[in-house]
Amino acid sequence: MIVCVAVVGHQNNPLYIQSFTEADDALKLHHIVHCSLDVVDERVNNPKRSGPTLNETFLGLLYPTENYKVYGYLTNTKVKFILVTTDLDVRDADVRNFFRRFHSAYVDAVSNPFHVPGKKITSRTFAERVSGIVKSFGLSSAG
Amino acid sequence: MIGVGKIKQYSNVLDKPLSKGKQEVSLSAFSFLFSELVQYNQTQVDNITELERRLEDAGYSVGARVLELLCHREKGNRRETRLLGILSFVHSTVWKVLFGKVADSLEKGTEHEDEYMISEKELLVNRFISIPKDMGTFNCGAFVAGIVRGVLDSAGFPAVVSAHFVPVEGQQRPRTTILIKFAEEVLRREARLG
Repeated sequence: MIVCVAVVGHQNNPLYIQSFTEADDALKLHHIVHCSLDVVDERVNNPKRSGPTLNETFLGLLYPTENYKVYGYLTNTKVKFILVTTDLDVRDADVRNFFRRFHSAYVDAVSNPFHVPGKKITSRTFAERVSGIVKSFGLSSAG
Repeated sequence: MIGVGKIKQYSNVLDKPLSKGKQEVSLSAFSFLFSELVQYNQTQVDNITELERRLEDAGYSVGARVLELLCHREKGNRRETRLLGILSFVHSTVWKVLFGKVADSLEKGTEHEDEYMISEKELLVNRFISIPKDMGTFNCGAFVAGIVRGVLDSAGFPAVVSAHFVPVEGQQRPRTTILIKFAEEVLRREARLG
């Protein structure tokens, strides 16, 4: 099940961090998200294979820690989405689907004329959509 | 998308096509809004450069959002890392979504390495605007220049973009050219990528 999602801006400033379990403390999750940013930068700047994979947005599994898996996704404007989950058997297609819907919600939040790019995302609609997507991710991958 | 307002009227709601199709905004609605934008900014500033800068800033925020939206919706989420890639994206996809057609031409500047030009016979935003003589070389296309700058900047290609009128023989109204001058680091990176 998904523990935390985060949106990080292009200067590595956090734009939105939301955790979905009460047990773990937020600080540990912040720390995990922060460490995964290094992995993202590494993947982006030193691609293992150039060519068609150079421009992919979905970065895949960034690294597994003791009981979490961290997935990354990079948008066109260098905004990164980080997903932390405790599931052991997530399918790749499920994560891609999740990121696709998350990206839609993000684009809608950014299109708000009152949103200042670079500041935190404070829209309640965005928060509700994200929790909706997170809930349906849990259901679809369990079935 | 700004269109000419040709919306087909269906007598029966069941005859409407199921797919959402492209959403169009009527040209007159946009022109009214744009003219109010220009008039409002004109009351706030004293000189022309300030007015141009404000229109450009307005366009900049549009451009940043348009880039996010289009990459998600149209391009299947591939990032543009090459200069020609992002230029052709602006020239065709962005223009098509905003103005309903691709831009007339995209040229590389002859004098400087870092200059590119997108030309249009007449910008859609300028269609109902005529500049009074005492405003000199002011061009409301500064709004479109701001949009292009917003797109390029958010994609990681910082540039200085401006709009100019270029007189063409044989035509009454001059052609509009958007001049894009990329920053040093973009050219260095492009050279490094080979």
